[in-house]
Amino acid sequence: MAADQGQDLITLTTDKLSADGVSESVTCPSCGAISLFIGTTRDNFEGKKVIRLEYEAYIPMAESELRKICSDIRTKWPSVRHICIQHRLGVVPVTEASVIIGISSPHRSESLEAVKYGIDTLKATVPIWKKEIYESGQPCWKENKECLWADDGTDSKES
Amino acid sequence: MNTEVSVLYFAKSAELTGLKAENITVPSNITSLQLWQDLETRHPRLSVLRDQVVLAVRQEYVPLCAQPLSLREGDEVAIIPPLSGG
Repeated sequence: MAADQGQDLITLTTDKLSADGVSESVTCPSCGAISLFIGTTRDNFEGKKVIRLEYEAYIPMAESELRKICSDIRTKWPSVRHICIQHRLGVVPVTEASVIIGISSPHRSESLEAVKYGIDTLKATVPIWKKEIYESGQPCWKENKECLWADDGTDSKES
Repeated sequence: MNTEVSVLYFAKSAELTGLKAENITVPSNITSLQLWQDLETRHPRLSVLRDQVVLAVRQEYVPLCAQPLSLREGDEVAIIPPLSGG
């Protein structure tokens, strides 16, 4: 059987994300494993009630950084078949998904490890920003502790 | 030699300047630190980001340092506050 060409499926969209859609996009007959990560909007931060998140991106560079992540994944885990990374932009209400990563591989350990690597690296390198909107008080641009140029004074610094 | 480049502002930097983008003319061998200082002069409110910002030149990250940027006409320079994707 000819080898499938592994696909990197990258989407930045203001539409609601679908875990089923991501899972279906990475399904392949020769793979016994699909691993998914879904990042959702929490309703609280340091005792404050979060109403929604608003996401903004430097879109062309976010896409190129996501492609680099896919390339890194394929170097580290060569058996990975398809990779799908979807990130929502604009308003994301509480409990809805802001990011979904789906990866297929013949056996489970590669896709599980690759998904973790994918989200960890996304948080450190992809030019996307989120603002938390609270029930009361000023909105706040979040900073990932994974980002090398964030303030390393506290875990999630407000700015 | 001077070059005109586009500066793109994101997240907190866009709020501080009130701009999404602007064109500026700078020496093509300006360093990343000098370029930031130029922008701070134009937009003093940017100074709060000084220790927590990098640039992206032609979509590659560049820290604020003495590295000359070798800018070309029409290059995009993006102001990149700390990331919070995912």
